[in-house]
Amino acid sequence: MPGHKRVAVMSPQTRLAHSRRRARGRWRVPKLDPAGADRAATLYRRQRTLAVAPLLLLFTGILGLPLVFALFPALDDLRLLGIPVSWLALAVLPYPALTLLAGWQLRRAEQAEDRP
Amino acid sequence: MEANILAVAGIALVAVATFYLGYRTSRSPSTTQDFLVARRTVRSRRNAAAVSGEYLSAASFIGVAGLVLKDGADALWYPVGFTVGYLALMLFVAAPLRRSGAYTLPDFCEARLGSRALRGLAAAFVVFIGILYVVPQLQAAGLSITKIVPGAPNWVGALLVTVVVIANVFGGGMRAVTVVQAFQYWLKLFAIAAPTFVLCVLFIGEGGRGSVTTGLTEPLPPTFAENTTLDVRTPVLLEVTEPVHLAANGVVDGDEVSGSVYWTPMSSPYEVDADTQLSFFAGSSVPVVAGAPPTNDLWLAPSGDGEDVFATYSLMLALFLGTMGLPHVLVRFYTNPDGRAARRTTLHVLLLLGVFYLFPILLGALSRLYVPELLVTGRTDAAVLELPSKLAPGILGPILAAVLTAGAFAAFLSTSSGLVVSVSGVLSTDVLRGRVRDFRFATAVAGGAPLALAIVLRPSDISLSVGMSFTLAASTFCPVLLLGVWWRKLTSVGAAAGMVVGGGLVLAALVLNAVSGFTGNWAPALLLQPALVTVPVAFLTVILVSRATQSKVPADVNQMRLRMHAPDGLGFIRDRAVARFGSAEERARLADGRHRK
Repeated sequence: MPGHKRVAVMSPQTRLAHSRRRARGRWRVPKLDPAGADRAATLYRRQRTLAVAPLLLLFTGILGLPLVFALFPALDDLRLLGIPVSWLALAVLPYPALTLLAGWQLRRAEQAEDRP
Repeated sequence: MEANILAVAGIALVAVATFYLGYRTSRSPSTTQDFLVARRTVRSRRNAAAVSGEYLSAASFIGVAGLVLKDGADALWYPVGFTVGYLALMLFVAAPLRRSGAYTLPDFCEARLGSRALRGLAAAFVVFIGILYVVPQLQAAGLSITKIVPGAPNWVGALLVTVVVIANVFGGGMRAVTVVQAFQYWLKLFAIAAPTFVLCVLFIGEGGRGSVTTGLTEPLPPTFAENTTLDVRTPVLLEVTEPVHLAANGVVDGDEVSGSVYWTPMSSPYEVDADTQLSFFAGSSVPVVAGAPPTNDLWLAPSGDGEDVFATYSLMLALFLGTMGLPHVLVRFYTNPDGRAARRTTLHVLLLLGVFYLFPILLGALSRLYVPELLVTGRTDAAVLELPSKLAPGILGPILAAVLTAGAFAAFLSTSSGLVVSVSGVLSTDVLRGRVRDFRFATAVAGGAPLALAIVLRPSDISLSVGMSFTLAASTFCPVLLLGVWWRKLTSVGAAAGMVVGGGLVLAALVLNAVSGFTGNWAPALLLQPALVTVPVAFLTVILVSRATQSKVPADVNQMRLRMHAPDGLGFIRDRAVARFGSAEERARLADGRHRK
């Protein structure tokens, strides 16, 4: 019939399959609108700055402990409930310290994101 | 004999529970996306339990206690290092990586740097690291099976673990594995916490068997709690600090001996050949494998000399930066719904790991008192499995041993299945065509290859060989990930050069180590723990080569970088999944089988 465009009838599955085949190939990064892009750029710098303090604290702790043991060998003889302090410092102390550090950093990172 | 039956029952229970959970939850997944990333709907708490369940491997469950038994205070750095890597993940990688929208490490490399060749290289390293990590798990399984079924060959345990893992992954892929892993964490925590608690109560209340004559603080070697006969299977060098009477049957210092001998402290260690039988009396002091602290006071104190401190720092660096390069850990973060959940996951993981690691340390210290004979043969990894029957009286010992063995098996199963899933995910999408059928074929390959290696290679300390995979990950993926997220001038050439140089150096160290092991142990500490050199070299290579090839910086680098650092609310996190798998409405319609109205 003249005036009518012919349309192929197909099931939704087929339609989806067709569109998917078209989406193959290298995936492109979607564009951000300018306001969002500004915010993302600010956040990028902010998060980088925020990460410095926990990292420094961590290095102080990890590099410091062997140094403390080397400087104060008396810690091996000091006992708490019969356990040498040097063992407590290595076997118990790091885990709550790490969790606290991570919790603190998590709060700061999320606050930075929430701020409009 | 009862010990064996109970332990076998425990292992069977773990295998059946794993299989059942995997089967129950595997009836729903049907698409590639379900198989690879569990539709990205896993909440942060469950995902954290799954990450920890997957991460607590043989190295954590039995390796840490073995190292504490042998090396004392210096070994306490291992669990700290295993945990501290997650802080690095949280600080620098978790959220941006999740927001990048990539599925696997090679996928990230391609999305960020736009190079197919780099993707191939990354895929090769993922497969290599994965296999290197599975081998010690399977060997540990072999060790445990020979402990509970004397006379069984080493390959039985390895085969058992491989079969359960492959069957499970075949069924449900990532979705099933998430539930199974979360379950495994709590199982492992119970299996190590309950026996440790009972053993500590017995020890403090002095209700245990035998009597301990040498305290952990005295400047004397540990002593045998009862008359002990040992079969030396692999040649060992033994250091003697107190004179000891014993009966030897075999070859010592190159001479055939049979009957009573008297060992005195000497400058060079005693050389005991394979297939030698040594019998010690209760109360006599324990000769210790060369290289480990021989007396209890040395064992208790952190070592202060230069080489050991260097090794400690090198180990910490490898573990700190290596965790973020482990494919089976990273792939878990892709299952979180968004970047924020990925970040929260790391906090929960830190908490869960911290709770766990207290227990293997306690078990290791108790082993020094009750199973010092492991110091003679050097198979200290068996400490966790042997301690209960030496300490607890009557039927209690075998019961506790069975619980611990079951927990150890949960550790082998969960880590191996996590690794097999991530390795086969990479294999199926990068080497094959990414269909569900390909994923299953890749699983068979990813499980079969380590099995063959585990049977052929010689077992060494489990935590040490796992440490090597961390070093490799830290020297290959860590620079690419960190700089990829935080440095816009990174190029694909620089990334590839860094991976090749870093990975090549670590592999060279591995080979030299193996050679030195056969020709008189001349390798310096640097080769045993090379991270302090290889990681900075890898970083430097990436930076220098990238600077020299600035024309190759991808055109869309700013877009990609913004995307990684934009908060989730901006709402374009799902775009890539939509392009590949269709939108949520389309999928719902397909699932219901209804046509559009």
